[in-house]
Amino acid sequence: MFMKYVPDTSNFGFMKLRFPSFAMSCIGIVLSIFLIMTQGLNLGIDFRGGSVIETTKPDNVQIEDVRAKLSGLNLGEVLINEARGTGVEDTTILVVRIATQDAPPDEIEAAQQAATELVKATLLEAYPATATSPGLEIKSSASIGPKVSGELFRTGITALIVALTLMLLYIAARFAWQFSLGAVAALTHDVILTIGVFSGLQLEFNLTTIAALLTIIGYSMNDTVVVFDRVREESRRYKQMPNRELVDFALNGTLSRTLLTSVTTLLALLAIFILGGPVLRGMSFALIWGVIVGTYSSIFVASSLLLALPDDWRHGKKKAEDVVGFQGAD
Amino acid sequence: MLHFSKWKVLGIVLVLVWGALLAFPNAVSNGFLGVKPDTPISQSADDLAKFRAQQEAAEGAWWPGFLPENKVNLGLDLQGGVYLLIEFAEDEVVANRMEIARRDVTEALAARGGRPAIFSTREPNEDTGQLEIRLKTPAELREAMRRLDDANPPVEGTISGAKTFDIEDRGGGLITMDMTTASRDALVSDSQGKIIEIIRRRIDPDGVKEISIQPQGENRIVLEAPGVDDPKTLTRPLEEAGRMTFNIVDSSETGLTAALNGLVRPGYKLVEDSQGFPYLINVSPIVTGSDIATANPGFDAQDNSRTVDFRLSGSGAKRFGDATVKYIDRQFAIVLDDLVMSAPVIREPIYGGSVQISGGGFTEERARELAAIIEAGELPAKLEVIQERTVTASLGEDSIRAGTAASIIGLILVAVFMILAYSRLGIFAVGSLMINIILILGALSGIGATLTLPGIAGIILTIGMAVDANVLVFERVREETRAGRGAMTAVQAGYEKALGTILDANITTFIAAAILYVLGSGPVSGFAVTLAIGIVTSVFTAFVVTRWFTSIWLHWAKPKKLKL
Repeated sequence: MFMKYVPDTSNFGFMKLRFPSFAMSCIGIVLSIFLIMTQGLNLGIDFRGGSVIETTKPDNVQIEDVRAKLSGLNLGEVLINEARGTGVEDTTILVVRIATQDAPPDEIEAAQQAATELVKATLLEAYPATATSPGLEIKSSASIGPKVSGELFRTGITALIVALTLMLLYIAARFAWQFSLGAVAALTHDVILTIGVFSGLQLEFNLTTIAALLTIIGYSMNDTVVVFDRVREESRRYKQMPNRELVDFALNGTLSRTLLTSVTTLLALLAIFILGGPVLRGMSFALIWGVIVGTYSSIFVASSLLLALPDDWRHGKKKAEDVVGFQGAD
Repeated sequence: MLHFSKWKVLGIVLVLVWGALLAFPNAVSNGFLGVKPDTPISQSADDLAKFRAQQEAAEGAWWPGFLPENKVNLGLDLQGGVYLLIEFAEDEVVANRMEIARRDVTEALAARGGRPAIFSTREPNEDTGQLEIRLKTPAELREAMRRLDDANPPVEGTISGAKTFDIEDRGGGLITMDMTTASRDALVSDSQGKIIEIIRRRIDPDGVKEISIQPQGENRIVLEAPGVDDPKTLTRPLEEAGRMTFNIVDSSETGLTAALNGLVRPGYKLVEDSQGFPYLINVSPIVTGSDIATANPGFDAQDNSRTVDFRLSGSGAKRFGDATVKYIDRQFAIVLDDLVMSAPVIREPIYGGSVQISGGGFTEERARELAAIIEAGELPAKLEVIQERTVTASLGEDSIRAGTAASIIGLILVAVFMILAYSRLGIFAVGSLMINIILILGALSGIGATLTLPGIAGIILTIGMAVDANVLVFERVREETRAGRGAMTAVQAGYEKALGTILDANITTFIAAAILYVLGSGPVSGFAVTLAIGIVTSVFTAFVVTRWFTSIWLHWAKPKKLKL
């Protein structure tokens, strides 16, 4: 047998909620910007430069002991954390982060390499394999100099701006400018709220986060386009229907699809979040958050803004005084 | 919309079979496909045994050669390996070229035909790098410009005929000389190619390793070495400039003592060996690295030590031979990057060009490394590693396992949900979802794209989003059914009405993926590739394959009304 997740004829007055939701979105955006300004972002080495080394953590290795051994190396800020490892089994790994080395500009890159190698050699020497322990093993390492990290950051920001601009143009070409403005407002809303969450929870913000943001833009756009398509279609059928009812009608018509697609996407993302290991955890978190926010924004931000803008996209709609009462055209 | 002509059906079947064939190699071993294994990097007994077993399996394979045999390329984050981004200083390359220009200028403006030299100084400006030439008298400007112009060849390989240098009269007998943009660009790009070749010969002298070295931008090089766990084995051979020279040594007591007291004879230079022992060497070398034809690690049976043996090229051997006649009983030094490797005394003339560095106390590994560095030649500029990423093979395997588990669980969750939501149509959608994944794998293998861990995330995300197109259609079908239409017309209308929306929605996501691909690097562009491929295949499977399934079922079962 099968289930219906949404009743056949939903008739929910979404647009009645447009002012409270507008207030909520504004609070969310202001809070996000406030967090980004005060707390900043926990930038990963992609954007800040520095090194990350991941190792196994045999049972006989104590994190305090590792801290003591590495602090003696005099490499500036060295952070050591435990994390859940990749893989289906429950393993613990050590994550060592080394900040960008303090050296003359020409020598930073070489100093960073040397610091990474020194930490690796120190760890391998301090915890060798013995009869009772498998010994510490290096799983991965990465080191990025300030030259590259600066470029990666600029490229990331450029990618976001280019994506938003192209979406704006595409929608303006396929629909009217009001739709385009509504859609891009929704996307910007999603991006700001996602960056805000990363700042609030101090999650690592790196290249894969930018990839996630772009995917969120794509997803949210997808959602918005489906709603707008329906709005345009219904506006041709029901030429006399008032704007607010028209938008509500379109939203209800696509509600079942909106929820179904969100749920299947969330199910798939949940699988990555739980099973995909540490590399994909941040990315899948961003995507899960983005799907939720994106679904919300295509209903409340994009559609509300469309209502607030001039309605000259409704060709053939009679002026208000001509309309005696609402009559369905069919 | 529900009528499929024979040709259309044939087309669909062909695409599906082709996709399945492309994806198939991923499901079986290389031995089954008859693909010969790569030569192992390590020579351990285990690896060699594995290599032989794979080779035998490959020889006995029946899989025909004309069918696809490429698996998906795994990124370094999945198979383990080292990624290096290397940069060289353009300014250093240009400065070296200007140094040669300085020598040419000296020659061009030197005394000629009874006329004395017409310049007083020709030194590079420290800030701009330009060569500033001062003439003895401004009156000689015309003659100087004429001679400099003769020494200013056009840039090689350009059609425009741009000159190598901008030569300008600054007035008052001052002439400046600088590289033109065209010649500078040509030089930098030429150096990039040279450096790639030198890097390859240094880290993979036998050309057996599966290492990719690619240019990036103007002054960068990307090096990817799968299966390597320790980046040091790659970066160490790149640290040395590799400037190899043979120089005559002034071994007189007085010369050395004076030099140690700060009075170095003109034309000589003080260098040391690895023990810190000083040598006073003549700066103009007898032969240089470019005269060396081959270099190999060797073994000295007399004292069981490692050596580096090399052979000079024809002209180098002749020059060296002549020098050994001229400087018999004197000492000469083999100098690598200002470090004396060996300083033998010439006992007899040496012709034939065979030279050996011994007594250096080399390990076997160091001797091999030195031979590779000497044979590869001198780097045109110092190299700097500006980004390094290493993933061990075991972490790569863990990631593959994690990615596979996440994909399977994700697929099952989505499948159950879809079947619960749309019953029979849901089953069709899940069927086309499976086909979708096979097509993505087939496309990735077919175009030789690289699958990274974020790429796997892209596939899983596609699994979630691919059903969207189906959902859009099914919701329309539901509406039409509620409006009282029969099964056939409802499905027909559903597909017709959903098409525009599906295209609009997917084109926007595709734009996002394309931007990611253009601007992203490494793992991120891997994500973009799978996302983009996933969008194309999911539109195809949802709109064509599911529709075909549905149409077959409708024609076969002939339901009056759909239960939705």
